[in-house]
Amino acid sequence: MTDIDLDRLLGSDRDDPGCDEAGELMDAYCDLVSRGEPVSDQFEEFLTHMRNCDACREDMEGLLALVRERASEEPR
Amino acid sequence: MTNALVLDEESAEWIRALRPESAGRDDAVARLHALLLRATRSEALRRRPTLPARALDDFDNICVEAASDALMAILAKLDSYRGTARFTTWACKFAILETSSRLRRVAWRNRRVENDDSIWDRLPDSAPPALQRIEQRQLLAALRRAIDEQLTERQRFIFQSVTMDEVPTDVLAERLGTTRGAIYKTLHDARAKLRRALEASGHHDGGPVK
Repeated sequence: MTDIDLDRLLGSDRDDPGCDEAGELMDAYCDLVSRGEPVSDQFEEFLTHMRNCDACREDMEGLLALVRERASEEPR
Repeated sequence: MTNALVLDEESAEWIRALRPESAGRDDAVARLHALLLRATRSEALRRRPTLPARALDDFDNICVEAASDALMAILAKLDSYRGTARFTTWACKFAILETSSRLRRVAWRNRRVENDDSIWDRLPDSAPPALQRIEQRQLLAALRRAIDEQLTERQRFIFQSVTMDEVPTDVLAERLGTTRGAIYKTLHDARAKLRRALEASGHHDGGPVK
């Protein structure tokens, strides 16, 4: 068994703010990423939660896809 | 309202227009609803390949309801918008959450959520993905022992449902009459207990996630 398998089951032991706090940062994170801007240390715990929580990660992927779709339609 | 950041022009205009005292509020609400409906349909389409047939029967109705509920949530929480993201991104987040939660619940409708110990006996032939790559019998035994001995009944049920049966946390929250955040907190605590138990028995190094 690899460490990756255990990580999937047991998650990370890094600080994880949980669904509610991570959800508060989701829109800001997606805006930054869609603009290609660097992601600051402010999002470290948010990203830990995204690795640990399938539902939040799916939601973040959906929002990011939507923001990118909208950005691609905006006049340059 | 106290904004942490100076709003971009478009976001500030949305906020102004959606204020109860705004003369153009009805028009702004209609435009926001159209934006949200587009977002819910886009998200539902993105998830469509993963949905069971029964979710597709009610596809457009799910999108319309999700957009309406997102609109209500946004109008109720307008004062909490801080401008850390564009207003449209903040608003679309509500649309995504309403859509995904509905779709997960529809996908799990008529499916029972229960822990079944046969999951261990069925390994490896029909194991869920999270367990498929577990090869070491010793580790598997240690994990099972830790689950049985270290977790409370509720922690065990939530841990096994989410990580082994892959029940979405919001589906589990609905079935147990609690919130997604509360389910995740229980899962988080259960995982911490299991990590400590496996570290103590020498099966996990406690290192960072790769």
